[in-house]
Amino acid sequence: MASCAAQFNALFVMIGEKLGHYRLTAKIGEGGMGVVYRARDEELNRDVAVKVLAASMLEHLSKDHLLKEAQTASALNHPNICTIYQVGRVDNGFYLVMELVDGQPLSEMARKTQLTTEAVTRYGVQIADALAHAHDRQIVHRDLKGANVVITPDGRVKVLDFGLARRLDKATVETITRSLASLERDRSIVGTLPYMAPEVLAGETGSYQSDIWALGVLLYEAVTGQLPFSGSTPYGLSAAILHELPKPLPSSVPPGLSAVIIRCLAKGLTDRFQRASEIRSALETIQSAAIVSQPRREEPTGSRTLVLRGIRHLDVKNRDVLLLLGTTKGAFLAKSKSDRKHWEVAGPYFHGHAVYSLAYDSRGGRHRIWASTGSPLWGTYLRSSDDFGKTWTNPLEANLKFPPESGLALKNIWKIALGPSEAPDQLYCGVEPAALFESHDAGESWSLVRGLFDHPHRPRWMPGQGGLCLHTILLHPTDSGRMHAGISAGGVYRTDDGGRTWQARNRGIRVTFMPERFPEFGQCVHKIVRHPDRPDRLFLQNHWGLYRSDDGADTWNDIAHGLPSDFGFAMASDPHDPDCIYIVPMESDEFRCTPEGCLRVYRTQNAGASWEPLTRGLPQQGAYETVLRDGMVTDALDPLGIYFGTRSGKLYASRDAGKTWKELISGLPQIVCVATAVVAEMAGDSTPRPAEKRRPIKKRRRVSPTSAKSSISKRKSTRVTGSKRSRR
Amino acid sequence: MTVEPPMTVNFWIPGPLRSMTAGHSQVDVETSGVTLRDALEALFAAHPAIRDRVLTERGEIREHVNVFVGNKLARLGGGLATPLADGVEISILPAINGG
Repeated sequence: MASCAAQFNALFVMIGEKLGHYRLTAKIGEGGMGVVYRARDEELNRDVAVKVLAASMLEHLSKDHLLKEAQTASALNHPNICTIYQVGRVDNGFYLVMELVDGQPLSEMARKTQLTTEAVTRYGVQIADALAHAHDRQIVHRDLKGANVVITPDGRVKVLDFGLARRLDKATVETITRSLASLERDRSIVGTLPYMAPEVLAGETGSYQSDIWALGVLLYEAVTGQLPFSGSTPYGLSAAILHELPKPLPSSVPPGLSAVIIRCLAKGLTDRFQRASEIRSALETIQSAAIVSQPRREEPTGSRTLVLRGIRHLDVKNRDVLLLLGTTKGAFLAKSKSDRKHWEVAGPYFHGHAVYSLAYDSRGGRHRIWASTGSPLWGTYLRSSDDFGKTWTNPLEANLKFPPESGLALKNIWKIALGPSEAPDQLYCGVEPAALFESHDAGESWSLVRGLFDHPHRPRWMPGQGGLCLHTILLHPTDSGRMHAGISAGGVYRTDDGGRTWQARNRGIRVTFMPERFPEFGQCVHKIVRHPDRPDRLFLQNHWGLYRSDDGADTWNDIAHGLPSDFGFAMASDPHDPDCIYIVPMESDEFRCTPEGCLRVYRTQNAGASWEPLTRGLPQQGAYETVLRDGMVTDALDPLGIYFGTRSGKLYASRDAGKTWKELISGLPQIVCVATAVVAEMAGDSTPRPAEKRRPIKKRRRVSPTSAKSSISKRKSTRVTGSKRSRR
Repeated sequence: MTVEPPMTVNFWIPGPLRSMTAGHSQVDVETSGVTLRDALEALFAAHPAIRDRVLTERGEIREHVNVFVGNKLARLGGGLATPLADGVEISILPAINGG
């Protein structure tokens, strides 16, 4: 054997050299059987895999026997079995030339993603068919395991290493089953032992039925991502396989599939399936039953869930601070602990789609992110995720549609607004062309709010730069009948009867693009915010002009005293102080960038009587930035966190109420909306908390860490739920 | 009354919509109608999620989606009323100015 090992060591270093007419180009794997190389078949000009058998393979078997086995295996010709092209011999060594299989081991796939029942059944049929083909030719796999079943990118199963496993003698099996060493440390059995049938562990030679057992383990693992038996040592694991029942399958596994898996894992040979072809038939029956039982509309399109692969998702915990960033080319999610020092960013979600509105919805104990996604090609859809972006709904049909008689087609969803916490299934969307939609079943169905759509003013509204859109929706925190909507360029409209009738509320707001300076409607309103503690106080950024109303929008007063410009878009209120507002003025409608190349946030703490620039940490030279209407937001924490995103894809943040700023993220596509939330209690504490009465807050308070914490938990049930936040 | 024998048309499905056709880039549909609209309806019947991605709620082809009948752009010809021949290939493609 020593010379044999030496021979294999010699083969081991032959990358770049040739074995026969195969030039080894790279090492692609190593296992108990030997080392696998990628190689070039220089006669047939194709890439192949060359497995150089390890010396240990020959320890228990004669070389002739192994050669015979390999030759038999090479006779297998099946689409789900990796083809062996040639068995080669060099001095004392063997090598196998095989089909090069590109793909991912099934066990790895199952661990990384939740495979659907449909996929598991489909793979199961192919594996069972491969086994049936081999068994009919008296070839037993003997080492069927997760690593030996590869799924190619086009969804085809390839079973590797048929008939090549070394036979374990009784003494070796006994050594394994008695070992108390850590299972993880023994690499030669860690990937093999969990698939071994009880009779193999009892010392019998692997048979067709031990392959069937291994198929049961594979299916169990594929459907749950876990193994049916566990133990921390080879002894513990062997004992579980020999004596225990498999861990119960989750109830989500359909009974038919569950029955097949359990019958593969029967300890007694007579209770187990006798033939692999029986398993294939049983799985095929499940497949056809699934197709018949699925609603016609669902079947051809597959799941409604869109899984976004290739993104490292956020692992969100209770009380984390979330930032939801919408850009013209996709959404990004970021999270931090409540200290807001370090942020993790994930995305882009929906890459290539413009995400103009995002909202976190914790009403009714849910943890849902809503997103409007607009593709310039394929239309605009409302989607949601209940797992912080790992999966999203992918609607079969557009959720929001104008009625056919309107002659209109949806262009964009500009705003998602959540209803009150006591009506957790109520939602609103503001859209382009300007209209308001409402849902009373958590977004399952939507209807046009006719009171506003049929308003006699609507035909005279004019589109602004961003189109004719309804972009701002403000629900009143205590009066469920009252709501404000901002339309560009239609102006401010208010309903006091839950949306049945609407009145223009623009008195005092100037226009610059019509001969009449103060018309009843037609103003190009850019943004309105409301403070929940003083719901009749509204602040408004107009297309030129900055205004405040203290009477629910009946009248507006100019408050642009001492600002470098009263043109702008973004505006955010301070949840701790109804007199405090943050804005980022733009130079003019012709030059919609920060004046003088200085990026300055302006704050008023006296409801607009005076303004102060906040610049520490913000670039004050050459910074011609634009912050769009939903590009700035405040969190509910104390000290206040403020976040704004720019058209140049930078996100700036302050966690000390604007005293200092930091660039948190750069290099994103154009940022069009920013939302934030503190994550309410999850799993284990998902009961919705009763809304606590809010303390009136006059001015910013200094709070101790303890009271800060309590104020966070209080906001979980009030502000952060969305509807009662002022504007994002 | 004469009934047109059904004809088969072949649709080319662009990458972003293949999740709605179980991954297929080409889909054959049978239709007893004679226009592009009939063929699209047959496609939507088999793969309902395609409808709103290709047509607006006004029933028009989306602005930045190009539908070719053979190698003729439907928008520049008869639109959804473009007549079809048996075995024709219909390609749904993103327009170059839509991204």
